[in-house]
Amino acid sequence: MIHTENLTKIYRMGDAEVYALRDVNLEIKEGEFIAIIGSSGSGKSTLLNMIGCLDTPTSGSVFIDNVNTASLNENELAEIRREKMGFIFQQFNLVHTLNAVENVALPMFFAGVKRETRLKRAEELLVNVGLGDRIYHKPSELSGGQQQRVAIARALSNDPEIVIGDEPTGNVDTDTGNAIMDILEGLNKEGRTIIVVTHDAEIAAHAGRTKRMRDGRVLD
Amino acid sequence: MRDSFSLTYRNIKERKARAALTILGITVGIAAVIALMSIGYGMQESITAELVEMADVIVVMPMRMELGSIGTFGSFTDRDLDAVKRIGGVKHAVAMIGEMEEVEYRGEKFMVQIVGIEPRDMDAVFGETVKLEEDGGAGTEASGRALRDNDHKACEIGYSIAHDYFSNEVGVNDRLTINGTKFRVVGIIGKQGGFRSEVDSQIYITTRDSVSVLDNEDISTIFVRVRNIENAEEIAAEIEERIDDNHKLDDFTSAMTMGSAIEQMESIFGILQAVLIAISSISLIVAAMGIMNTILMSVMERTHEIGVMKAIGAKNRNILSLFLLEAGVISVIGGVCGCIAGVIGAHAITFGIQAAFDVEIAAIVKPEVLLGGIAVALVVGMLSGLYPARKASKMSPVEAVRYE
Repeated sequence: MIHTENLTKIYRMGDAEVYALRDVNLEIKEGEFIAIIGSSGSGKSTLLNMIGCLDTPTSGSVFIDNVNTASLNENELAEIRREKMGFIFQQFNLVHTLNAVENVALPMFFAGVKRETRLKRAEELLVNVGLGDRIYHKPSELSGGQQQRVAIARALSNDPEIVIGDEPTGNVDTDTGNAIMDILEGLNKEGRTIIVVTHDAEIAAHAGRTKRMRDGRVLD
Repeated sequence: MRDSFSLTYRNIKERKARAALTILGITVGIAAVIALMSIGYGMQESITAELVEMADVIVVMPMRMELGSIGTFGSFTDRDLDAVKRIGGVKHAVAMIGEMEEVEYRGEKFMVQIVGIEPRDMDAVFGETVKLEEDGGAGTEASGRALRDNDHKACEIGYSIAHDYFSNEVGVNDRLTINGTKFRVVGIIGKQGGFRSEVDSQIYITTRDSVSVLDNEDISTIFVRVRNIENAEEIAAEIEERIDDNHKLDDFTSAMTMGSAIEQMESIFGILQAVLIAISSISLIVAAMGIMNTILMSVMERTHEIGVMKAIGAKNRNILSLFLLEAGVISVIGGVCGCIAGVIGAHAITFGIQAAFDVEIAAIVKPEVLLGGIAVALVVGMLSGLYPARKASKMSPVEAVRYE
């Protein structure tokens, strides 16, 4: 479903070149739950941004369903993010002026789904993550764990094949973290591909496969 | 669409003070333009309305340009008057003898324009608009009668002469000393103001008195009314030719039709209005910069949010339209407030002008001006929002998400 070929990302810091990724070759199969584990600066987030079409490689390629993402323009990349991907961030990244149901409906708004349809679906998604009684709450009125569940519901709003989590449990306590990982496991059982980046081995243990990264390389 | 508006509404609400100041900026700009236009239309209307009433009038004066200045030179004679009267299409031709004379009343002296005219011609000159002053109500004197042909050493005086010139009010039957001779006031002319305000500070006497008592027989103005307004220009040209012939001079006579005066007035007003609007547009430019600044700030503050929106699938044009909408909403609110403020301002200013200068002006608010004002606000707002909105839409999602 997803594979990378000699994926390399170089950041320029003044005169110095920093290799965030070096010749990464990784294959992720459809329906897989993979955890990428590594310390900070290992390049795991950069890899996730490449796979998630948020960032473009310096060299090498990312293929999604055998399409080389390097050949796509900004709008086509946005469409892939919208239709095939669901993002969950460490900081939850909800739009703070919108309430829970509106946040969940936002990707559908960009996809042009009718208002009634998307609000109905957003409500269902929130019920599914156990927030049926919080749908009109603003992010500031929700706990970290609740916000992350809203974010998961939002990630699912356009029914993506791939769910990407960048340290999704990084800002919540252990119990909540485990609850979130349980939800992700459930999504995996539904047949979605789950890719999670974490530095926490315990969290990574929820995944079917774990890959470790160090200094921009994927270790075997 | 509804959600875009609600998102925009919440973003604006979140920074109420800033949005309010930006809106105020565009309000001031639009209000200035609308007020000036409405006042301009009002002035134009009040002046041309007065002039249209006199559209059949040709004013003939001995006037010419010399060394770049306009002045009156010489005067007309009875022969000129007869010549004018013989021209086809002329309904009335009235000679007026005008001279500045010293007028004394109870020890105070002023130089006043004394006009010698045949009393029977006064109606032809002034038509319906110049009437005797109305009775001031109970306890005040009636304001006399019109000047008559057989009056001797009598005068009819303008409103300002009666009420403003001298520290004491001049009433009917009071006596004014004009150039050493006492004249009895027989009537006071009602207040004219506006385009005819010169009547207010003139004194009318009979032609006979002008010649015999003040020893002045120089005709300074021939006042002509034509039968058909359409022929006015031709008749004016013929008058100039005849009188010039009489005096064997070129360009001695100036015969000005009110129609051309209206045109002149309108073109002067057009220019004046254009200049005023250009000046007030500066405030619109400032307002445009205010909008641009506000949207830029909004883009900066929401960089992270833009990144998130892009990450969850927003295309560049989704982001672009979000910020353009914000600029549009701010500017339309400003435009509407500007229209309201402009209308109120225009009425307040014309009210002030009326009170201060004693002229009849009513601001004319044209609906198309209001719609234009809102449209201009919208266009200005969208244009100033375009740069920041494009900047927002072009952000790299990964950098924007990382931005805290």
